[in-house]
Parts: sequence; structure tokens; C-alpha cells
Amino acid sequence: MTANTTDTGRRGGADRGRTGLLLLTSVILAGCEGQQSALAPSGEDARVLGNLFWVMLGGAVILWLLVNGLFFYVTRINRAALSRRFANGLIVGGGVIFPTIVLGGLLTYGLSIMPDQRAPGDGLTLRVTGEQWWWRVEYWPEGAETPIVAANEIRLPAGERSEIRLDSARVIHSFWIPSLGGKMDMFPGRETRMSLKPEVAGRWRGQCAEFCGASHALMAFEVVAMPPDDFNAWLQAQAAPATSPTTDAARRGARIFAREGCGACHAVRGTGARGAVGPDLTHVGSRLSLGAGTLTTTLADFERWIAHTGAIKPEVEMPGYGHLGAAELADLAQYLKGLE
Amino acid sequence: MSDEHRPDPDEERREFREERESLWRITLAPATWVAHFVASYGVVAVTCAKAPDLLGAARLGLGLFTLVALAIILWLGWRAWRQWDVRNTGDYTNALGEAEDRHQFLGHAAVLLALISAIGVVYGTLPVVMLETCR
Repeated sequence: MTANTTDTGRRGGADRGRTGLLLLTSVILAGCEGQQSALAPSGEDARVLGNLFWVMLGGAVILWLLVNGLFFYVTRINRAALSRRFANGLIVGGGVIFPTIVLGGLLTYGLSIMPDQRAPGDGLTLRVTGEQWWWRVEYWPEGAETPIVAANEIRLPAGERSEIRLDSARVIHSFWIPSLGGKMDMFPGRETRMSLKPEVAGRWRGQCAEFCGASHALMAFEVVAMPPDDFNAWLQAQAAPATSPTTDAARRGARIFAREGCGACHAVRGTGARGAVGPDLTHVGSRLSLGAGTLTTTLADFERWIAHTGAIKPEVEMPGYGHLGAAELADLAQYLKGLE
Repeated sequence: MSDEHRPDPDEERREFREERESLWRITLAPATWVAHFVASYGVVAVTCAKAPDLLGAARLGLGLFTLVALAIILWLGWRAWRQWDVRNTGDYTNALGEAEDRHQFLGHAAVLLALISAIGVVYGTLPVVMLETCR
């Protein structure tokens, strides 16, 4: 009886273990997909890196099986002493010649893909500066003398290779869009570069990949690749000054924006707001995220962000404006959401 | 005991001197590898920073240096192989602490070091051969 109970209990535990393992596997596999995965490449560079990963993984699995198979053979299947000749052959063949050839092959393959990872761009140049904790973005179309300024979102023409020049304001960050390519560090005072070529139109997520302070994990951005014509139209719209508020609520919001001194840090081109401390808000209403990939751009999220900035993003430089009443917050949100 | 078999008082000193030299010799192959490695990285870095146009010449020079380094290592390896003398003695491990064993063991170690140095030089040359630009 007791034995039976124990047995059932053990079997139940094993079943639970199997279910857990299955669940874990599906969770891990699901992690390979999605908007921010180097294993679901949508860019030319990410595809090459993805192949590199699978080749290396395949090589590692084969070597693991060979080494452990050999170990199993000499400890379980054939435990007799090996002949000196065979043992020496094994050491020289398996320990010197084979790894030299395999590593030489992998090194050659790895080196062969390196130059193209830093190919020059086709025309458009982006300058991205890492701030704590957001991204200052400038678009420099070919021949441009002044940039088109945006923030916290990267848009690229699909099928074209864009040059990306990276810099940082105070600390080291790292610019990474796993679905499109490898990562590159951003250093204060030293420009680095990379280039990306999205293969299709689509939307992905980028993330700062170098610890840069309290809100490092909340330093992300949306990435959108558009057909080149759509991209050019979008860029032209971004170059234009902000639209004037059209509703009464938005007009009240604009006055609150001016009264609270938001323009000391934020620029809204076409108005008196010319600050350059925080993100340019000229077209913030048309962006896909708020607070560098932290919130969406719904009216409710605009209100939350303005009232509870520091709670949403620890140690952020912008003070919260929780002292504004609900009505004023709603008006301000209407104004900002209208800046499309 | 006849005169012929009387130990030569200088024999031990001579033998010791020879061992000391071969102790130095086993470091020469890795030292060649180090020189090649430093030259490859240093020359390419300085060329790309100061005169990218000369990269072709720099790569050619490094290619020639590679051949010289491999020739040096091959020669050192060949000398060490003769010192090890495994084909005649059949003794791989030289487990005894005799002068002859020490002599052969140093040869053995030098052969292995020459082998790994040669592999290192070849691997170190691959980036010079394959990466054609300063990018």
C-alpha cells in the first residue's frame, strides 16, 4: 500500500516534470520569434549572423556527440586497453589534425562574412546619439545640409542599405536591432558606424544593449522599414514644422505646454519651443511609442507619462507634472497626440 | 678502470651548457609566432589609421613575413625532431631523469611548440589574407 502510494506519487512527479519541460521548451522556442530576435532575421546582416549561429551550433553539437561518443565507447563499450599505435593516432588525429582543420574552416567562414557586415550605405545616413535613456535621431538624406530631427524611433527604407553613425552623450550605450543586424557600441566623443538593410517592410524593436544606468532596460525603440516611396513621403512630413492645434482642448494644451516651460527642454518646430535637452516633439503624436519604447502613444499613456515620469522611468531627467489637474493633463495629452 | 672510461671532468658542464641552449631554443618557435602576431596586428592597425592607401603593400609585406616565420619555425621544428630522436629510441615519454632523457624531452617539447606555433602563424595570417579592406 505504502509502496503503491509512493509509486503513484513518483509517477505523478515525473508527469509534472515532463509537462514542465514541454512548457519550458515551448516558451524557449517562442522566444526565438517575434519583433526582437536574432533568430528571426529580417535584415541582410541579421540573416548572415543567423546562419553563422546555426553553423556554429551544428558544429558544436557534432563535436559534442563525437567527444562524448568516444568517451562512452572507451568507458562502457570497449574497456580494454587501446594499442599504443591506435592511442597515438587518436591523439595526433583527433587532438591535433582534426581540430586544426575544423577551427581553420570555421575561422575562414567567420572571416569571410566580416567585411560585408560593415558595408557602406546606399545614400541615406542616420545619426543616432545615445542619451540617458532615449535616442536622439537625425536623418541626413543624400546631399542634405541640415538634418531632419526625430527621436526614439528608427525608420528605414526597405531594400536599401542605410548608413548609421553612432555617438553618445555621456555614457556608453549599444545600438541593437536584433532582427536587422549586429550590435554596435556608442561611445561619448567617438563616432562608430554600422549599416542596415531591411529585406522587407515591417516593424521591429531595438534595445540598448550596454548597461547605461537605472533605466537601461527601458531604453528601447520601435523600428519601421517602409517601401522607399512611403519612406520618402514620411521623411518629408517629418521635415515639416508642427501642425497647429485644431481643437479647443489641444489649444488649451498648447498654452499649458508653454506655461509649464516644457519648451526649455523639448523642441516643437514651428513654435517657441526650441529646447534640445529632451526628445524633439514636433511629430510625437505619430510615433509608435512614448518614453523610448516604454509606453504606447494613446491619450491615456501621454497623461500617465507626463504625471508619473519618474515612476515609469526611474532617474529620468524629466520631472513629473503630477501637480497638473486631470483636466489640464487631458488637454496637454490632446495637444501632444495632435502633433502628428 | 681504464683511462678511456675515466669520466671527463668537463663533460657534465658541456652537457649542461647544451641543455641550457636547447632550453632557450624551445622558446624560439613561440617567440616567432609572437613576433608575427604583433607585426600583423600592429602593421595593419597603423596602416589603416595613417595610410590606408598602403594597405596592399602592407598585406604583401606581412605575407612575405609569414613565409619567413613559417620557414624559421619549420627549421626549429626539424632540429627539435632530431633532438627528440623518437624514431631511433622509440621512447615517447622520456620518463627517466637522465641527461639523455632530458635532452630528448626538450626536443619533444620543442617539436610540439613548433607545431602549435606554425598553426598560430597560419591562423594569424588568415585575417590578413581574407580581410581586404580597412573596413
